[in-house]
Amino acid sequence: MALASLERFTYSYPGANARALDDVTLTIDDGLHLVTGPSGGGKSTLLRVFNGLVPHFHGGRVAGCARVAGMDVIRTPTRRLAREVGFVFQDPELQAVYQNVEREVAFGLENAAVPARDIPGRVEEALHAAGAQHLAGRLLRTLSGGERQRVALASALASRPRLVVLDEPTSQLDPQGTALVFDALRTAVASGRTVVVSEHRVGELAAVAGSLIAVDRGRVRTSDPSRWMAPMPPERVGTSGDPHPEAWCMRNATLGFNGDAVLHDVEAGGCAGEVIALTGPNGGGKTTLLRAIAGLLAPLSGTATRRPGRIAYLPQNPAALLHRPSVRAEVRFTLERARETTESPDVILGRLGLGAVATRYPRDLSSGERQRAAAAAVLPGRPALVLLDEPTRGMDTSARDALIDVIAGLRDGGAAVVLATHDAALRDAVADRSLCVTAGRVTEAAR
Amino acid sequence: MSPDPNHPSARAVAAWSAACLLIVLMTTNPAYKALVFAAALCALAASAGPRRITRLLLAVTVVASFAALLNFVSAHLGETVLFSLPPAIPALGGPYTVEALAFGAAGGLTIAAAILAVAPFSLLLDPNDIVDALPSTLARSGAVIAASLNLVPAVGATFVQVSEAQRMRGWRPRGPRSWAEVVVPVVLTSVESSLQLAESMEARGFGAGARTHVAPPRISATDWLVITSSAAAVGVFIASTAAGWAQQWAPYPLLTAPAIDPRPLLACALLFVPVVAWRSRR
Repeated sequence: MALASLERFTYSYPGANARALDDVTLTIDDGLHLVTGPSGGGKSTLLRVFNGLVPHFHGGRVAGCARVAGMDVIRTPTRRLAREVGFVFQDPELQAVYQNVEREVAFGLENAAVPARDIPGRVEEALHAAGAQHLAGRLLRTLSGGERQRVALASALASRPRLVVLDEPTSQLDPQGTALVFDALRTAVASGRTVVVSEHRVGELAAVAGSLIAVDRGRVRTSDPSRWMAPMPPERVGTSGDPHPEAWCMRNATLGFNGDAVLHDVEAGGCAGEVIALTGPNGGGKTTLLRAIAGLLAPLSGTATRRPGRIAYLPQNPAALLHRPSVRAEVRFTLERARETTESPDVILGRLGLGAVATRYPRDLSSGERQRAAAAAVLPGRPALVLLDEPTRGMDTSARDALIDVIAGLRDGGAAVVLATHDAALRDAVADRSLCVTAGRVTEAAR
Repeated sequence: MSPDPNHPSARAVAAWSAACLLIVLMTTNPAYKALVFAAALCALAASAGPRRITRLLLAVTVVASFAALLNFVSAHLGETVLFSLPPAIPALGGPYTVEALAFGAAGGLTIAAAILAVAPFSLLLDPNDIVDALPSTLARSGAVIAASLNLVPAVGATFVQVSEAQRMRGWRPRGPRSWAEVVVPVVLTSVESSLQLAESMEARGFGAGARTHVAPPRISATDWLVITSSAAAVGVFIASTAAGWAQQWAPYPLLTAPAIDPRPLLACALLFVPVVAWRSRR
């Protein structure tokens, strides 16, 4: 008997006419199951059916049948399903209740009324299963993103669930953090757990996956992962050619906060018409360098200069930008502020594939669409300096390719572009050179 | 759940703070208040280090001085007149006395001692230490408080991100209405963060019914020493007050020195135990 099954399951969010899931029939057996598909296609909604967050937490209209571990999802509350289904969310920052690693892992056990004397052993077991035993005793705020996701996975495993569900758990992680999480997933599968994971990086898990579940516009199609073909990497977009004047420059700069240096002796600069990628691990100082280039952070010593002109700055958190009633209004707001009223907002929306959601409230979009909306909100017009912090976070490959075209267009128009990214495909496609930001230093990276 | 050796137990801190507060608020005698203030100052300096308490001391000095000054200029009582202002001046007019100054100083000392007594909660403990120290009957409320506390730094970080992002889009602070462009996204993002945390808690079975509570960190022998000495300090001081050994003090109408007795002094001296206990854990 299947561990989880959906039969003609249809779901719409409250107030929405469109179906987020449309007549889905699906069976989940043992092993690892990969969920893929474009941003806004319904992946997160599907995953939330397995533990009943859809419909119990989110509300909305539902039809059809969903069963998990013998329980009817529609009739069983999430807090009851939680004993059989562990869930790991996308953002490791926003799912922690406690600061101490062991207390955090114990939270679900306390909720399940596991006897207090048994909890320490179960916590140790879960940390071991997630490959996070060495993190015991640490405070969450001292952990890297990958380590935090491992703790989140341990928290999900602690109640010994039969099914573990993960919603894009690596979208905010550097390659090392991603590898840590993928290793833990492989271990979980090897120890007999059933795992359902939504992931854009299909290639790295396809070899151990039992099925590939494609979700697009609420429809679901299951296929054999062995037949999965890796998409072609984005084509490299040619450089703009001729040398241009210097657009920004750091000389002997020490960067940091409250007198504490994060980056030392930074010697770096970029030209108009040039794309520079900042690479390096989570917490290495990429965002600090971007903020200093933007003039948001004054160097503790040394100098930071930039040529006059508008700066387009995309922060790591797209929600920091979005506050207008529609995606189009966000773009128009930037154009009006930049006094570039001759350009229609629909130009950038069309190039980033956002035409269909132009009238939607930006915060109602999926995380990948939100990221594109935030990019559209800062990139219209003719900025002189373009600073993008993890611009492809949560984006599918077609959205990434569209963004690459936009970046190349800005560069060809004379903008200096700096992007902080873990996305090797983006870097390889568009960057003229890379700077590695790690261990307090900024160094030129070999191509 | 192993205890963190870098922190005193929240229960020990709570016991000591409560003892300090109780004594300093029970008595009007400035000698005992001064001793409690000294104990709190030494305990903080020993545990948190002088560098970390510099700003706190500055703030305490300002607040205590203001309280003393306020009494000096508003209470025109006492017999030892320093100078007088014409009575026609509203509120300020009248005699300025040594007694009013002394009473104000005692009030400032009370405020200063009370602030320093509760300062270890923020200087020595993580918010989650406090939540963990709650009795098991309050465990569910504790989890909610812990979750809320986790969101506080996130709101601060969001404010920085939003104001920077909007500044890059041309926003400048021009009057209260202009702040809507920053405040609205911060509020919306904070609400979204809260909802996501609530979703995470729901997904982990919060609210499923009866709940167990993992044992809080064990209280060490040093913590027991602090708890016992704090309890003894309170006990001895209450007994001293009841027996009339801990005499109250009033500066009016003529300023006199406060009466001092060794028994309540001993009670106050017991509050110095953390100077040794917490120093050893740094």
